[in-house]
Amino acid sequence: MKVVIAGAGSVGRYMAVQLLGSGHDVTLIEQSSDVSNRHRAYAPESLCWLAGDACELDTLAAAGCADADVVAAVTGDDEDNLVISLLAKQEFGVPRVVGRVNNPDNEWMFTEMWGVDLSVSTPHLLTSMVEEAVSVGAFVRLLSLEGGKARLAEVTLAAGSPAIGIELARLGMPRESTVVAVLRDGHVVVPRGDTVLRDLDEVLVLVTGDGEADVRRLLVG
Amino acid sequence: MLRRNRSKPDQLPTSADRGATAIVAAQPRVAVRVGGEVTRMRARPTTGVPALAVTISDATGSVVAVWTGRRSIGGLTLGRHVLLDGVAVRRGQVLEFTNPAYTLLP
Repeated sequence: MKVVIAGAGSVGRYMAVQLLGSGHDVTLIEQSSDVSNRHRAYAPESLCWLAGDACELDTLAAAGCADADVVAAVTGDDEDNLVISLLAKQEFGVPRVVGRVNNPDNEWMFTEMWGVDLSVSTPHLLTSMVEEAVSVGAFVRLLSLEGGKARLAEVTLAAGSPAIGIELARLGMPRESTVVAVLRDGHVVVPRGDTVLRDLDEVLVLVTGDGEADVRRLLVG
Repeated sequence: MLRRNRSKPDQLPTSADRGATAIVAAQPRVAVRVGGEVTRMRARPTTGVPALAVTISDATGSVVAVWTGRRSIGGLTLGRHVLLDGVAVRRGQVLEFTNPAYTLLP
């Protein structure tokens, strides 16, 4: 896949290196030559650096947005990320646009209105992770997909959960939801109809539409 | 809101003389100009974000233009002839523009 990343901060550089390692073709756009010069020497040689303002059409074009599969706007500035997302979607028809939310107050804007297909909010993720770390028996939303139409949520089953000891197929999960993974004793269990849930299982559920209340009732009680 | 124009697409003039590409020949993900008549207008309230989806047809086919953040555009009405400039993506069978530049034709 061809990926264009805007912003060579720690987030952008980390993503670039990871994606390169997975065999993708990555271009990293950075406005500040100081930042580029400081980090270029340590980055893999196959990483393509582009100096310029990613909020400018010419820069995005030079980075190859016209045939990019993904654009990730991950600068430290939410306004810039929105502009980059909108331009990527509107001017280049990029199929998948990922926008980083720096200030959670701005999260509501990271929708298809600004060309964002997937928004990732670091503060929100951190909150979820803290919540997830401390909460057993609670329904924790981890990630929102397609502008909130689908959500990935996690429940760590408490001892009193009504789901314990029941086969997944008999649990009566709503049609709008599916169990995508069960984390048990540090292993990932691929859920099947005959998987029986246990105490302290971490159940990852993909929920669309209005299924959330039912899932919560079934897993949390 | 759903309304449909009753005029037949085969009566529509082409906009080729204004530099427009026939809709059937328009390619996704390259800058293109197409022209035609507004044959359908729909406000999309689906995700809570207002958007106006307008279908534009010439003798060869139809494209959809989506303008985000608004429910109407002054002068853009059913039957109006317009030119669109922008980059489209293929969504299902049709090309879809996001926020294309538009020119209202007399």
